[in-house]
Amino acid sequence: MELMQWFFMGVLFTLSVIALAWLSMIVKLEWYTWAGMITGVVMVLFGIGWAGASFLEGIAQSGALGLILFSGSGVVMMVLVWRHLIKPKMVAPKLIK
Amino acid sequence: MSDEENKLKINKEQQSQDTTEKEGINSETEQPWYMEEPARRTFFKRIAAGGGGALLAGAGSYGIARYSLEGQEVTDYPLIDEKLFKPKPQQDTILNFVSSRALNKKYPERNEQYNRLQKKQFEWINGFRDMYRKPWDNSKPGYTQMDRALQKAGWEPLNLAGSRLSANLQPNTPFNTWDQSDVEKEQYQFETKKQASDAIKSAARVFGAVKCGIARRDKRWDYDPLYDIENEKELSWKKDFPFEPKTVIVMLSSMDYDCMATAPAWTADGTAADGYSQMGVKATQMAKFLKGMGYHAVGAGNDLGSSVPYAVMAGLGEGGRNGALIAPGVGPRVRIMKVYTDFEFVEYDGPHNWGITDFCLSCGKCAEACPSDALPLPEDKNGGYGFEPSYEFSDEPGYTWNNHIGIRKFYSDAKKCYNFWVENGSACAACIASCTFNEPDFWHHFFIMAINPVMPKFLHAAMAESHPAFGYGHTNDPKKALKFWKSGEGMRTNILMKNNIGTSNKS
Repeated sequence: MELMQWFFMGVLFTLSVIALAWLSMIVKLEWYTWAGMITGVVMVLFGIGWAGASFLEGIAQSGALGLILFSGSGVVMMVLVWRHLIKPKMVAPKLIK
Repeated sequence: MSDEENKLKINKEQQSQDTTEKEGINSETEQPWYMEEPARRTFFKRIAAGGGGALLAGAGSYGIARYSLEGQEVTDYPLIDEKLFKPKPQQDTILNFVSSRALNKKYPERNEQYNRLQKKQFEWINGFRDMYRKPWDNSKPGYTQMDRALQKAGWEPLNLAGSRLSANLQPNTPFNTWDQSDVEKEQYQFETKKQASDAIKSAARVFGAVKCGIARRDKRWDYDPLYDIENEKELSWKKDFPFEPKTVIVMLSSMDYDCMATAPAWTADGTAADGYSQMGVKATQMAKFLKGMGYHAVGAGNDLGSSVPYAVMAGLGEGGRNGALIAPGVGPRVRIMKVYTDFEFVEYDGPHNWGITDFCLSCGKCAEACPSDALPLPEDKNGGYGFEPSYEFSDEPGYTWNNHIGIRKFYSDAKKCYNFWVENGSACAACIASCTFNEPDFWHHFFIMAINPVMPKFLHAAMAESHPAFGYGHTNDPKKALKFWKSGEGMRTNILMKNNIGTSNKS
């Protein structure tokens, strides 16, 4: 079952890479926004992986706290980077030719 | 404008919009809504670069984690104060002593001093008899007839083999026999030492060991003289032991996580008792394996030598504040068994460091959980870590008779621990259940274990506090016993391999 979890984490990781690549196509990202978004994504995925393992081993409290602390922090980081570092510099979303 | 003209205009606008959408033109930005060929290439290039980067980062992290979990070889173990250190007689181990009527008669002042200082009326010699006579209470989770039955069932293999006293350090039991009449005359020859070590460790896994290491025989860790409780006599390594041991093979057997989590309830003793039986079974199997290859071998549980330093010397873990071996991955939730042999054509393992003892210095969760206050707290002198005991009354002459003094380690008062067992009606194990390193076998615990050596010391206390905050390590909780007894759900398919990871899933 733990191996199944690794597989699902791989799927989520792949989707995250695609999402970040898509984001880079529609907005111009500076190095620090890249760093912020990647850190946020990794934290979200880490929290999901932590929570998945904790729920599987039967320690729900660890799973819930892992989601809040790790994934929650990741989401907050991504939102802050988006709102304060990316969005203000956007004139209009454009696809890069 | 007439209605017809209006309709015509709307139709033209509609047609124009349809045409724009068909051609992929976004009317607001005048950009196509799909990516044109160069942009699509860039997009896929970035996915490939991102995926490759993620793969490299993942593989790198995995490699670093593996390297960290291997531990760093250490050269400064053991630290010994030669002025204080001397070989320890087996009769001075608490379980050996309290099981012997002759020894209790010989040293009545030990029991008297303990009762006087601790203000108790406790008879050591009758402890084990009284412990298992305590009546069950079916309204009290963890102390019911079912819990007692589990405990007794755990001991049964040792009982049937006539080897129950091996848990109390009785040497030469039927399981751990000293009889060498079945050693094959022809000796199997290995080509290399590595091949020999690998073969022994492969056999250990077949017998069910979770870890196995090989140490040189070290007389400092051997009890000398040995003591035979059944016949009430001392035994000599030179005169009585059947051969001169050169090597000690150390194996670990893990105990069930959920069962152990019920500590100090009787339930936890179910997995501890089973662990003792496993010690007997696995040690005798390994001994027989070596004998079958033509080498002398004697299995041992807690007898013959001190198990924790031998396990440390075999590279299996570090000594913890609770006095137990703490092995990366399973923590202190293990039983240690040894096999003494004269086979020495092997690659020996050596002591390693995972930052466990350093962590113990600032943790102290086991000492907080100990119902008998037998363990040293981080606030004690030197954090309870030194060459001699610093616990309460340790300065009273003769009080520390059960400790092996002169080795740098955490010293505990095993007399108080044993006293609580008898009052509790079962062994306790709260120090194992509460340990920060006592985790189920999932990746995130290995992750913490892997980063532990590089964590700054000031974070250790915070990590120790986060352990109970995340729901691990609570003891003395009746809900844990209820949870354990539901944990068999799903065992038909057992997709989580609960017997390996010791977790309960749905309960």
